[in-house]
This record gives sequence, structure tokens and C-alpha cells, in this order.
Amino acid sequence: MIEFKNVNKWFGKLHVLNNIDLKISKGEVLVICGPSGSGKSTLIRCINRLEKIQKGEIIVNNTPVHDKHTNLTKLRAQIGFVFQQFHLYPHMTVLQNVMLAPVNVKKLAKSEAEKIALEKLEQVGLTEKSSAYPAQLSGGQQQRVAIARGLTMSPEIMLFDEPTSALDPEMIGEVLDVMVNLVSEGMTMCVVTHEMGFAKKVAHRVLFMDEGKIVETGTPDDFFDNPKTDRAAEFISKILTH
Amino acid sequence: MMGFYFSRLVEIYPFFLKGLWMTSKIAFISLVTCTLIGFVLGVIRSSNNIILKRIVGVYVAFVRGTPFVVQIFIIFFILPDWGLQLDAFPAALLAMAIMGSAFICEIVAGGINSIHKGQWEAATSSGLTMIQQLRLVIVPQAMKVILPPLVGQYVLLIKDTSVVSVIGVMELTRVGWVTVVRIPEGLMVFSLVGALYFSISYPLILLSNYLERKMAI
Repeated sequence: MIEFKNVNKWFGKLHVLNNIDLKISKGEVLVICGPSGSGKSTLIRCINRLEKIQKGEIIVNNTPVHDKHTNLTKLRAQIGFVFQQFHLYPHMTVLQNVMLAPVNVKKLAKSEAEKIALEKLEQVGLTEKSSAYPAQLSGGQQQRVAIARGLTMSPEIMLFDEPTSALDPEMIGEVLDVMVNLVSEGMTMCVVTHEMGFAKKVAHRVLFMDEGKIVETGTPDDFFDNPKTDRAAEFISKILTH
Repeated sequence: MMGFYFSRLVEIYPFFLKGLWMTSKIAFISLVTCTLIGFVLGVIRSSNNIILKRIVGVYVAFVRGTPFVVQIFIIFFILPDWGLQLDAFPAALLAMAIMGSAFICEIVAGGINSIHKGQWEAATSSGLTMIQQLRLVIVPQAMKVILPPLVGQYVLLIKDTSVVSVIGVMELTRVGWVTVVRIPEGLMVFSLVGALYFSISYPLILLSNYLERKMAI
């Protein structure tokens, strides 16, 4: 479903993605972890071309993402993206946030878009907040709205860039619960996170990155309990002790 | 003596109203065109297109770095040498549009740049086109930053219309000049001219103050 072939990207002199080869199949849940600056966020941001790559190929659903002529609007409609800092539109209500793309990209009638948006809000348990503004919500609620916004175009892939890193500890659970539910629906997901519990519970594969390279991949249990590389072992001991 | 001049002034009062009408006309047309062009230039200036951005940057620097009166002279006296002959009124409008749009461009670009990059990314990710991103997500938020200085700029532009009197457009300031030749009561004549300008710009000053307070919250 998603394929990276020999992908390279530089920020100036920094080689942020170094010869990435990766295949993610339909329905797979991939957790990506690694120290900050290792290129994990950049990796998923390349999937919907929030970042351009300089070398290699990325194919999503048979669509070449790296190709200049690709219809990005169509591509992005199939991919939901959830940011660390939520990035809800502060001047719109929750419902308007979730309805924006169906009305303006899919050109659905308002009533139809509203119906879908309310369904998605119900899925994240926030129907009663539909007329609130983002600033009136807690961080956890905002992130759940952001997930609903990502789901509203009925995407085949959901990308999460450290979805719980900006949250207070007691709100992490509610966001992870929503994500676990998505997994049970068979959504293809790439999640950049250090939430080991989440990874162990639902991930099919863990990918460990450092300095722009994929250092190690494995099942969550293998990776966290018996890391093959010293670099990964060191990293895991650090996230465990903190 | 004073009373005599005052009655003369009452006599030629309609002349002042005509000047006021002309000033209002120039101000209104140029504010509309400056705003439209200024927004387009501002969007370009805040975009990622390096070449276009540079071109607009040079334009803005030139306009802001030269006196308005010199710009008017160039348009009215120099352009005819290059084959573009304009009457005083359209020349005045053109000069105002060029000058005002450069200032508004900077205000708009500042407003757009104040919006967090994440807003663009969220809108991009949901598949909105560039124009939709601007129209639905970025500009509505940027207006909070843009509006107060924009209205303040309108006040400046209205006052700058007085400069077009130098090429003979019969607006308010020009009316003052012409009148003072016949009625040598400069203080009285230009007090009246000033009061008439004030009557247009003061409501906008109040609006600007109000917006500044409201948007600060």
C-alpha cells in the first residue's frame, strides 16, 4: 500500500532520510520510534508530500507521490494526518473543522458532510462538543477532534506524528483508545510515537530510526524485549528509565 | 474685514463641496484598488515562490523608499515621454494604487506570516487547494492581525490624496490653494480644508482604535 524505494532527503547538508526502503501493507499498523532528529517525522511527512524527497520513489496506492504531475489533492484525500500540536482551525467550531474537507474537497452538500462529520465525532466520543471552539477543549479532546478531522474523508491510511507527545499524562489514554479502535477497524496506520504500551498492544511492526536510517525493524515484543542493535537497546533503556 | 471674507467663503462653499467630492472619489476608488492589489501582492510576498517574492519585494522597497510626490511626477510628467499620456485624474488614481498597494502588501504579508505553519500543513493534508487554504483557513485568521493596521493605513492614504493636487486635480487641497489666491485668509481657508479632511478620516481613526482594542483580546 505504501512503498519507499531508495528514498533520500536532505535539509541543507543534513542527510535526514538515508536510503530508506520500506513496504507497508494494507491494514498494517507500523510504529516508528527513534531519538529526536532521527528523521521519523520526516519519513511520514513524505507519504502525503508535506515534505518533498530529492531521490528515490514513494508509491502510495499505485500513485507515485514523488512525481511532479501527481494529483496531490486526490492523494491527500486518501490519507489522514494527525499532528503533535493538533493544528485545529481556531476560528471554526469543532463541527466546522471536521466538515471543512468534505465540503470543499469532496464537494459534498453541507447536510451530507455534517452527517459524516457527526459520525466521526461520535467515533472519537465528542458529539456533544460539536459546537465548541478548539480553545474551549482540553488537549486530549483537541487531539481527538483532529483524529475525527483526519477520518472525515474516509482515508485508507492514517498517519500520526507523535500524537500524544504534547498531552498531559492523564489525557494520553483517551487518545490512544481512539487509535486502538481504529486499528480494530483495519485501518492502515503509521504512528510515530514512544508509547511502548500502544506499540506492544496493537502494532504489527516497530521500526527504529537513527540519523536518517532504518536501524532495526521487528515485532513489538522482539524489538522492545530483545533489541538486536546496541543503538536500539540504548534507546529503549532510556525511554524506560525516564 | 474678517466678516467680509467669511461671507465670500460662504459664497464659494459649493466649490469646497466639489473638492470634497473629488477627494472622496479618489480616496474611495484608490482604497478599493489598493486593497485588492495589496492582498494579491501580500499573498505573493508571503509565499514560497522565491522569484515572484523578490520581484514584489523590490517593488515595495522602491515605492516605500521614494516620496509620493516624486512618484506622481514620474507618472504624470515622465511617462508621456515613453508614450503613456494620462489625464490628471487617472494619473492620480494610478499613483495612489501603486503607492497604497505597496504599503497594504506589507501589512497583509505580515498578517499571513503570523499564522502558524501548522495551519497550512493541516489544510494541505486535508487536500485543500492553495487558494482554498488561503480563503478558508489562513486569511480569516490573519484578518485579526491585518485589520487594525489596514484601517490605519486607509487614514494615511486618504490624507495622501492631498498630494495629487500638485498635478492639478481639483480636490480639496487644490480648492484651498485656488481659494486662498482670491481670499487672502489662509488660516480660515485651510482650517476649513483641514476640517473637511478630518470629517472623513476621523470615523476611520475611531474604527481603527476600536479594532485594535477588539483584536487585542
